[in-house]
Amino acid sequence: MAAITTGSAVSFARPAKASSVSSVSFAGLRKDNVAFPLQPATQRFTVLRAAKQETVDQVCNIVKKQLVLAEGTEVTGSSKFTDLGADSLDTVEIVMGLEEAFDISVEESSAQSIATVEDAAELIDKLVAAK
Amino acid sequence: MMVEEEEEKQRSSVGRWRWLVDVARWRPSPAEFRAAAALLPPHDRPAIDRFVKEDDRKRALVSRLLQYSLVHHALGIPPHRIRINRTLEGKPYLENKIVAFPSFNFNTSHQGEYVGIASEPLCLVGLDIVSVSKPPGETVLEFIKNFTSYLTDHEWNCIVSSGSHDEMLTEFYRYWCLKEAFVKAIGAGVGFGLQRLEFHHKNWTNISLCIDGEEAKKWRFWLCKIDEMHLASIAKGHPDDAIESLKRTFSDVVIQEEELHTSLEIPEEAFTLWTVEQLIQIVQD
Repeated sequence: MAAITTGSAVSFARPAKASSVSSVSFAGLRKDNVAFPLQPATQRFTVLRAAKQETVDQVCNIVKKQLVLAEGTEVTGSSKFTDLGADSLDTVEIVMGLEEAFDISVEESSAQSIATVEDAAELIDKLVAAK
Repeated sequence: MMVEEEEEKQRSSVGRWRWLVDVARWRPSPAEFRAAAALLPPHDRPAIDRFVKEDDRKRALVSRLLQYSLVHHALGIPPHRIRINRTLEGKPYLENKIVAFPSFNFNTSHQGEYVGIASEPLCLVGLDIVSVSKPPGETVLEFIKNFTSYLTDHEWNCIVSSGSHDEMLTEFYRYWCLKEAFVKAIGAGVGFGLQRLEFHHKNWTNISLCIDGEEAKKWRFWLCKIDEMHLASIAKGHPDDAIESLKRTFSDVVIQEEELHTSLEIPEEAFTLWTVEQLIQIVQD
């Protein structure tokens, strides 16, 4: 579990261009084994229900704080929590942080299926919409 | 009588190890890091490189080095012939079949400055290392309240009545790392349900576990203090309690209950501290 240092400024500035397209999860595709040409960007975007960019940004911030990531560390929708250094304690705290920030309640079973920032953002959007 | 007991003890210590590395002391240059990584099979590289933070990459590398050096040292398998794979839940296991030890298994853990590994020839083993710390911006109570749904009422009461805030924090971590050690021993992933586990103890010795209210008689637990900031827990138990995906990695041999029972009762000894340089030596053997 990482300790959080005070005074680390977290940058919010993220251009709003469709970076949520690049954050679509390719769970089934192996990087070293692409057998067919990648589909054009717009097609992917309409097929999958991406989370709102705002939500993705907010999740990124919460994660950056919890994991004490260095200034300038790239965190996007496709970032996996474990790759960013989250252990089991961090994951619980991140989910708690998200519940507080968005005023939602995340069930344990849903919490366990969150692997990336995008996963968390999608879940948040769904829960917020259902309120 | 004495000779037999000695022999029995020797035999039963084959494959049983507790190793620890103070990874904060290893400060490799990029070239040294790459050289160490090159000692591992190529497929391990992406698993190390994917970590964003350098400290996490270091811990991931040392964790793997520990696995290969332990297997080589404990079982004599030449490093290039060691096959370590992972279950679906992510638990590493040895693919090489050891006839004498059909359920040989090991578990690694890392947090803070340490990376550790524990192995057992017969019993399931789980290891968890924790760094007793909290975010400076939160109070101890605020911090541990995050985890109330993973603790039973009894455990929670023990924690909050344990004394000062520092003592509460340590107490919390003791319960947490015992739960983690158990879940890791059986090969379960994040979905296990830590609140199903309730630990009982006498001053943190004679530690026992109840799962869903029932006493887990074939499990033993130990807690040890590595240093002022770090604790380690060991869970040992019956291979029957492994989850399916882990059980499948064991050879289909019937294990003698008596041997298992003896193995289970062997008391824990101290961890052996290694340096990364020593591990590198072992693997290059």
